[in-house]
Amino acid sequence: MDYVFDIFLISISAALINNFVLYYFVGICPFIGVSRQVDMAVGMGSAVTFVMAIAVFISWTITTLVLMPGAPVSSWVAGFFMPPQQAAAIDLTILTYIVYIFAIASSVQLVEMYVRKFYPPLYKSFGVFLPLITTNCAILFACLTVMSHIVGVENPSDAWDLGRALALGIFGGLGFTIAIVIMAGIREELDLCDIPAPFKGAAITLIVGGILAMAFMGFNGVDSGLRAALTGAP
Amino acid sequence: MTWVTIGLSAATMLSMALVLSYILGWANKKFYVDVDQRILDIIDALPGANCGGCGYVGCGEYAEAVALEQEAVNKCIVGGQSCANTVAAIMGVTVGETLPFRPIVHCGAHYGDRLGRHEYRGEWSCAAANLVTDVQGCTFGCLGFGDCTRACQFDALHVVDGLATVDYDKCVGCGACANVCPRNIITITAFKSEQMLAVTCSNKDRGKDVTAVCDVGCIGCGACARASNLFSMQNNLSTINYEAYKSKCSSDVLKACETCKRKRLVFVGKPTAQDLEKAKDLEAPALVEPDFKTTVDDMEWRG
Repeated sequence: MDYVFDIFLISISAALINNFVLYYFVGICPFIGVSRQVDMAVGMGSAVTFVMAIAVFISWTITTLVLMPGAPVSSWVAGFFMPPQQAAAIDLTILTYIVYIFAIASSVQLVEMYVRKFYPPLYKSFGVFLPLITTNCAILFACLTVMSHIVGVENPSDAWDLGRALALGIFGGLGFTIAIVIMAGIREELDLCDIPAPFKGAAITLIVGGILAMAFMGFNGVDSGLRAALTGAP
Repeated sequence: MTWVTIGLSAATMLSMALVLSYILGWANKKFYVDVDQRILDIIDALPGANCGGCGYVGCGEYAEAVALEQEAVNKCIVGGQSCANTVAAIMGVTVGETLPFRPIVHCGAHYGDRLGRHEYRGEWSCAAANLVTDVQGCTFGCLGFGDCTRACQFDALHVVDGLATVDYDKCVGCGACANVCPRNIITITAFKSEQMLAVTCSNKDRGKDVTAVCDVGCIGCGACARASNLFSMQNNLSTINYEAYKSKCSSDVLKACETCKRKRLVFVGKPTAQDLEKAKDLEAPALVEPDFKTTVDDMEWRG
């Protein structure tokens, strides 16, 4: 029960309370660039969600098995060359960034091939933004968040397992989708509005983004409230 | 310890590369998309300027439209006839006559010819200056702030002594200048010869009002229309019927050019060999000093 509740809290937190776009301000470029129409925004959001889930899965697996200090694969290999207590301390966390970017780039490539084959109109409307998911900081941010909950955790039992990591990836992507779809809906309405000339285009988009972020601040404290309500403990 | 770490790092990256490239290779085969070879060939044949002159977003989209939607093969203005022929060969069709499109600036007044011009200190662009009255007396003519110069991707349009002047050697006819001109004095015309006769004035006012604001503008006297039926008077402005225009001008057309008191009927386009021969004996200064009051260039300091 505790585990399910933990997953639930992580999901709510990633999707709403600490929304990647509107709380951390990562992944702004597709948020601004592909939020003209709702259907395109839904496509972009699902692509980001998919890539984020795959990237988090790959990065969690590699971090736990290879990169973190005392990871099974690396210490097993190192055991052939050095005494066991040294081998257990071998630390490859310097590789995290490059490995994550590697994983993200490959999964984006996979998504691109898939979309190109099965959804050509979506592929066309994405244009340059699909390859740009590669450099979407929201995805690297999700991977690094997962890493920060695995590497350097005081109590080993607190370290995130794959389920928690995937919950963050999927619901973080879902939060991105929510944000970009809301934005696209607003921008579709904005096209019909008489906006003063100095605010036209990017300016009003950024202002709307800021107001949205303020609105999402209203979710602050929902997690502790939920925890108090469901467990009876503050 | 260090060497083991380095070796392990390298091994990690290498094995990741192996696994991921195997997966991607498999996906590439599995999700292979059959691209029409003709599209690739047409993209190779097109200039790749992505100027949008054909009406499509880029060369790739135009190539797709040609190959799949039976779009005309001669729409690429930049590539011209040779490009149209190559594309036609790829598509297995024949192409008719393609005329190059070139802009004509329908204004001939330099700073000295313009009357009622006042100092303007606003935003240095025609679009802004066009909103203000009394920048110059003529409300039809070139303002000379160089919106067209900045719109041109091919460095083919420059403001010379306050008048937008096309460099026909560099111009490819994409039409960006005509789109950006707030007074619509640049028209994109099909050039039937290297040099085209043009009315270099846009003023539709009556003669008296024109003489009040310009030393060279068309006063609508109608002398050209009387000399040749190629010309007609529309809204007090001499207008050439380009449908009936022949690449070799007849004598009455040349006579009409001579009768024009304001000398507004001029030939534009690339100078012919004869012109260069004529100009050889004329005096030209060896070094032309740029005048910062009148020269508009992209390098100017805007604060």
